Amino acid sequence: MIYTHGLHFAYHQSKQFSFPDLHCEDGETLLILGESGKGKTTLLHTLGLLIKPDRGQMVLDGRNLEGLTQKEMVQTRAQQIGIIYQKAHFVSSLSVRDNLLLANYLGAKEQDAQKVKYLSEELGFAGHLDKRPWQLSQGEQQRVSIARCLMNSPRLLLADEPTSSLDDNNCHKVIGLLKAQSEAIGASLLVVTHDQRLKDEFPNRVFL
Amino acid sequence: MNIVQLSLANLREKKLNSFLSIMLLTLGIGMISLLLLLDKQLESQFKRNIKGVDMVVGAKGSPLQLILSSIYQIDAPTGNIPLTEVNRLARNPFVKTVIPLSMGDSYHGYRIIGTDSSYVRHFEAQLAQGTLFSESQSVTIGAKVAKATGLKIGDTFEGAHGLDGAGEAHGAHPYKVVGVFEANGSVIDQLILTSLESIWQVHDHEEEAPGLAALNELEQGGEAHGEHGKEITSALIKFRNPMGLMTLPRQINQNTSMQSALPSIEINRLFSLLGIGIDTLRALALLIIVIAGLSVFISLYNSLKERKYEMALMLSMGATRSRLFGMLLLEGIILSVMGYVFGIGLSRVGLWLFAQSAEKDYHYDFSQFQLLPNEWYLLGAALLVGFLAALLPSLGIYRVNISRTLAEE
Repeated sequence: MIYTHGLHFAYHQSKQFSFPDLHCEDGETLLILGESGKGKTTLLHTLGLLIKPDRGQMVLDGRNLEGLTQKEMVQTRAQQIGIIYQKAHFVSSLSVRDNLLLANYLGAKEQDAQKVKYLSEELGFAGHLDKRPWQLSQGEQQRVSIARCLMNSPRLLLADEPTSSLDDNNCHKVIGLLKAQSEAIGASLLVVTHDQRLKDEFPNRVFL
Repeated sequence: MNIVQLSLANLREKKLNSFLSIMLLTLGIGMISLLLLLDKQLESQFKRNIKGVDMVVGAKGSPLQLILSSIYQIDAPTGNIPLTEVNRLARNPFVKTVIPLSMGDSYHGYRIIGTDSSYVRHFEAQLAQGTLFSESQSVTIGAKVAKATGLKIGDTFEGAHGLDGAGEAHGAHPYKVVGVFEANGSVIDQLILTSLESIWQVHDHEEEAPGLAALNELEQGGEAHGEHGKEITSALIKFRNPMGLMTLPRQINQNTSMQSALPSIEINRLFSLLGIGIDTLRALALLIIVIAGLSVFISLYNSLKERKYEMALMLSMGATRSRLFGMLLLEGIILSVMGYVFGIGLSRVGLWLFAQSAEKDYHYDFSQFQLLPNEWYLLGAALLVGFLAALLPSLGIYRVNISRTLAEE
């Protein structure tokens, strides 16, 4: 469950963002639509605890995220929040398998090889585990990055334009998988996009 | 999956860069290590044989040549000196011992030295089997000679003219092996020792100076030989007290047909001559190590620039900056440790090759392969180079803005 109230972030005087209040229950989804320059990525980074809002309130799973120390923020981000970026990025020197295990390692959790196997089968890249990420297609890479953000069973999934570089076919496949996996672990899924193809996939929508 | 594996994976990813850095470090470390090894072995070899010899007398010529030929048996002798003069010197109150040496022949490149038992005592050589040379034409051979030539007790062989093993053989006077010394690391290992009389006997009928021939005719040759007219090549002198050192060398050089040479002075001179070359090589090796450090630096700096997004990604996934800093430092340190290990290996190979040729040319043994104390300092230096070269690029991790970097692409 994620809930925000009166979030505001300013890069400088002339570039300020005030965000609408958001609410998303466990196992539910929320689509945040907005054109370029509306602060979509800024909102997502704020929710992802990558930047601190100037003011406003965020509550994740009943816990107020205001006033967390730097260390607590890093820990919350690693263990409870999974972020999927517009373009899938990986540690290029590691195999797909090790990239997934890396999420466990950096999140200070036990490295779960079983889960790697399970997710790779669910998301359809079980045959690519020993390849390097860059050897995979865009659609496959995005599925691997979904698997990576699921490795620590987060409470909140954030996706930043997850489909903008995919064709229609892959777009629906990726969104379908994302929704299914999020529901399976009972997390809240927030998707930030300007991709009009996704409008019909989400019942709850917010416009920036 | 852990930091060490990550560092190794990153190094593997940049194979050529890593290879270049490691190779430069290997070269630099290898050169310094080889110089240290050679320096130590040369010095210990030279110092060991010099021990207990205060002065060498021989025919006039180069004092360094006299030392090299008489003590180390690696240069040609300067010529011969009359035994009478040496015996006169032996009666000098400042002189404690005189070890006569007579050389000029060899067997398979190993020198045949005419001397007496004091030479054996001087080097504290022990017999492995058999007895010491005594009657004429009997020899006791060094351990290395026995090994290389396969000579055993009871075997006979003919010495050859000259020291290079290519001379004409003395067919009429074969030597007989009566004993073998234990190896003790001194020059005796590579010598064939016999009595002075044997040497004289071999050469009696072959090379007599015209003046001496007349003398010998008067004495009817053979058994009646006195010390008159006999020659030896050189003599190793030990003084009774330091006063000998003050007065004798000058007296000898001025009043006799002989020259005196002081081993300590000549060897220091030799080392200071070699030292210029060694210093140059050492400076070159240090330069290579500095370039290796630069290569590590550039390689890590570029790789961090390329991997900026990866770093931001890992930070967003919960990595702390200090952990990633450690990972990058580790990459530099792994490179330097590998460079060190390969460098030490390389220097051992170099030493081994040098030992092969040195053993063939000079019969000297240079096979000491254990780690020198100075090489631990070298490890410290290698680590420091790796650490410093990695430090600056690694600090870049503290300047990465996670949000901005992730939003950029």
